[in-house]
Parts: sequence; C-alpha cells; structure tokens
Amino acid sequence: MNPSTPPAEPRTPSLYLPVECEIVAVSDLTPNEKLFRLRLPGGAVLGHLPGQFVQVSLLGWEEAPISVASSPGRGAFFELGVRRAGRLTDAMHRLKSGERVGIRGPYGRPFDLARMAGQELLLISGGCGLAPMRSLIQYCEEHPEEFGRVTMLHGARSPAEMLFRDELDAWEASARFACSRTVDRVTDGERYNGGVGLVTALIPPLELDPARTVAVIVGPPVMYRAVIAELRKKGLGPERIVVSLERQMRCGVGKCGHCTIEHLYCCQDGPVFWLDEIEHMRGAL
Amino acid sequence: MKSIPPDNLPDFFNSLSATFEVRLPIELPDGTRTLGNPGDGPIALHGGALPGKPTAAFFPQQGPVFTVAGGFVAEAPSPPRPLFVAGFTPRDLDCLRFIDRFFAEGWHDDIYFSRRRGALVAGVSGRCGPGGALLPPAGGDCDLEMVWDGCRWLIVPYSEAGLAITSELPDSAPSNALDQIRQASEALPDEEGTLIRRASRLLRADRVPDSFWAEIGERCIACTACNLACPTCTCFGVQDWRYAERVERSRMWDSCQLDGFMREASGHNPLGTEALRTRRRIHHKLAADPERWGEISCFRCGRCDAVCPTGIGIFAVAREMVDRFGSGG
Repeated sequence: MNPSTPPAEPRTPSLYLPVECEIVAVSDLTPNEKLFRLRLPGGAVLGHLPGQFVQVSLLGWEEAPISVASSPGRGAFFELGVRRAGRLTDAMHRLKSGERVGIRGPYGRPFDLARMAGQELLLISGGCGLAPMRSLIQYCEEHPEEFGRVTMLHGARSPAEMLFRDELDAWEASARFACSRTVDRVTDGERYNGGVGLVTALIPPLELDPARTVAVIVGPPVMYRAVIAELRKKGLGPERIVVSLERQMRCGVGKCGHCTIEHLYCCQDGPVFWLDEIEHMRGAL
Repeated sequence: MKSIPPDNLPDFFNSLSATFEVRLPIELPDGTRTLGNPGDGPIALHGGALPGKPTAAFFPQQGPVFTVAGGFVAEAPSPPRPLFVAGFTPRDLDCLRFIDRFFAEGWHDDIYFSRRRGALVAGVSGRCGPGGALLPPAGGDCDLEMVWDGCRWLIVPYSEAGLAITSELPDSAPSNALDQIRQASEALPDEEGTLIRRASRLLRADRVPDSFWAEIGERCIACTACNLACPTCTCFGVQDWRYAERVERSRMWDSCQLDGFMREASGHNPLGTEALRTRRRIHHKLAADPERWGEISCFRCGRCDAVCPTGIGIFAVAREMVDRFGSGG
C-alpha cells in the first residue's frame, strides 16, 4: 500500500551521463563537414542499427543528436558525419585524433530492415542526409542477399558540398548499386562529372515496380514534399516510403519535449517513420 | 482517523524534519503563498492551489545533471533525506500522478526519481480553498490527506508510510465531518472539466481551423508563464555552466512558446510561428497526450489562466474554442 510513490529502481550510472569515446580519426568531408571515427572504451560495440543516432556531448558545449554514419558491421568503431552548424559542432570541428567526446545512445527507431527485406530499395538523400543514409548503404553492401536492386540518388548544393565523394564513386562503380548524383549548381572551373539539377529530377526516368520497391528519404526538410510527390507519381504509396526526420532532440530519451510531432516523440518513435504514420500530422514534413 | 488542531501544525511538521526534507505551503512577507521550508514563514495550507506548481519539489526549475571537476564526474545529488511535500490539491495530485508516469515509462528518468523516490506527499482538501471554498478530497494518490473541516485538520493516511508518520497523532473525536465533506463534494459542479473535455473532442476531431490559432497566437507575448506554472509541463533544456574549477551540466524548464524551442541546427523550425506554438501548447494537453497517454493532461488547476497576462490560459482558449466551433459532440 503506497499509492503516492511510484516504483522506481535507481539507475547507475545516470541515463544522462555520457560515455567518453576516443576519436580514432578525423577527416574532412567538405569544408563544412567532417567525419569522426570513434571508439568506445575497451573497444565495446555501440550496438546500433542503421538509422539510429547518438547524443554527442562536449563538456561546456552541451549535447546534440548526430546520426550514426556507419553500419553496425564495421568493427569496434562507429562514424559520425558532423556539419558545423552551431556552438557544439564548431567546438567538435576543432578536435583531433586522440581527443575525446561524450556519447549517449544509440537512440531512436532504426530503419525497418525486416519490412524492407526482399524489396528493391530506392535510397534518396540530400545534403548531409547522406551521412545517416550511409549507414544503410553500408548495411546493404554487407548484406546483399537481404534486398533486391538498390538504387541511390543523391543531391547536394554544389560539388564542393558533396559528402563522401570517393565512396559515391565506388558505389557508382559497384555492380551492387545503381547510383546517380546531382548538384544544384556548378561554379565555373569546378571539376565535376555528375548531373546538375534537383534530386527530384532524377526520379521520373527511373523504372520502378511500385509493388516491390521501398523508397527511403533522408535530407533537408525542404526536400521531402517534392520527393514524395515524385514518388507518388511513380505509384509508390505512403506505406512504401520511409522518411528520417531531423528534430532538435535535447535528451534523446523522450523526456525533454523538443522533438514532438503531435503525440509522437521523434527521438523515440522516430527518427525513422513510414510515411503513412506521419503524413497526416501537422508539422511532420 | 487522526486530527490536528491548527495550533499544533508547526509541531507536526517539525517532528518530520528529523527524517524528511520538509516542504510545505508558507506565506511570504508580501502575502504570497509558496512552497517553502518550515520556519521560512507562517504555514499557509489554506487558500487552495499554490501559485507555483508543487511538482517543482521533484522537477525543479533548474537542477544539475552531473558535474565534472578535476577529471571526476559527480552525478546529480539526491536530497540528503527523502522529501515530504505538503500542499497538493486533489488536482495537483492528478498532475503529479501524470508526471510520475511520464518520467517512469520508456527511459526511466533517474534525475526526477532521485528526488521523487521515497518521498511522501500530503494532499490538502476540505474547506480550505480560496475564501473557504470546498476542495473535494482526493481519496488517494498521496500518502496522506489533510482535510480541513472548518476547525481542525482531519488526517487520512493512504500509504503505510503515511500511516507511520501519523501514528503518534491523537485520534480524532468521533465525527461525521469527513463524510459531510465528501457528500458536499459530490454535489460540486465540474464546469471546467466539461469545458476541457469538449475542447479536447473538438481538437481531436480536427474541427479547429488554423485561423483560430493565428488569432490566439497574436495575443501571446511569449512570456512563457503558462508553461512555467503548469504542473504537467515537463519540457526542459540543457545548459553547461562553466566555472573556474568545474563544469556543471544542468537542465531547466523550457517553454514551447519560445521561437527557439524546436528550431533545428539547420535553421528549420517546425514551430516557427506564434500560431503553431500556441496550438502546440493547447493541442499537446488536449489531443496529443490523450492519444499517447490515454488521458487529457490538463487537470484543471487553473494556474495558466491565473498567470497569463493576455488572457489565453487553457480555460480561456477552450471556452473560445467551444463557443465558436461547437461542443465537440
């Protein structure tokens, strides 16, 4: 008989205490984006799935949610693609190999690999959306038997702002993927051999089987509606379209309230959603 | 049943201080009632709901998450003794029950429970509302209830812990005062409850147009008082405080009425207008929480209506909604 005090087991360490990770390597992706390879203490495995994120923490600079950019199958490290977009990421860009960052997670709902199994995949990314998509792309590389044909479309603002250019080259050359890239604009003299235009323009020429295709979209908010409209024209229903949504997750564990979409918490119920789960919700897209 | 004459209240609370960190309604020199420590001011159980939310005893406006000094990490400290918090009205107890569940389910919020775990909660009810108005007894959801019958506090324990701390109190003389209060409570109207339920039905049926929220949003001055006063508002921000010898990560209440509440690193802002933010404040309580938690999360404490300088607390908005768009079926 104790109606007031809820049962509550103490948790040690605190849910909000980050684990210090070593930065194993840092490389430039673009002038504004870096790739951090991180290692947990003792080489522990992060235990994430493609589509999940971690809360990255720098003491004195708070935390920010960053999607994991590598697949779970890459050994005792994981990678984060980090765009410099604020105080924390500014500070993070000054870090070098051997230094440390705090990590909490992995958090969030990953890509629904079981439901995507056996399907042809159309992976559409824009800007730094290629970082979380890369986790799924690498997974597809590692598990070719799980999916049908994989088509990748990627758009960036300019060639200089295109992430993972070497890997895009490799994916283009691979028999495993059909890969197309495009940029909004090319500056005179800039070396670039892809298409020019919006990523949406890459969709109409595709030959898709809408009954056997799952499309996955990860990119800036402005991209979603336009891409979805093109996919609808191809006959893809919302139950065959997956989106990964960016929100400002302060806690990552469904408590701080900053990432709500109506009754959903993006950090817990997402960031990956099937379109039919959220398309009717105000402010989701 | 036990009882305490009003003159003996200080002794009762003082007797608890050896075992508990006691928080109770006190009166400040300017006449304001607030949750305070014994001795901070005269005990002020009368007057109804405190202006500030009593749930702040467990989810304070600002508090540490952890501290790092000299390479060592110290987690958020628990109170040296468990809390004893008095002054919850029956509606406040509903709020506490809701946020207990919110912080417990899914990821378990250990910082909240570092204060909540082992705490005792005392409700206040009876003829101690504003101007002597009747507050219906909660009848549970607390460790003990203090029911003012007009001349003494009837003490009704509900938990073993509540029973233990009141065992030394004198037995109450036989009386049907508590029954009379319960009967009188049953006859009280619940107009606010009816209003809130109607507004909830309207929102859930999507019968409130965007133009309504644009109008209400125009009246919002983003003072955030509604959120800061609401016992079921649990949103928080995180801030690192850098001192010479240490860095403290803390969390503090945040408000969905602020432009930056949801703004993302990219600049995209899903709540980029006053209209969207005002809708979110009301919709969250009346439509989103019923969908997620199975109940409306406004328990009609009235604080947001009391503090809003421009008259757009939840009762006011719900009334306008129902007047203009119907009863919601």
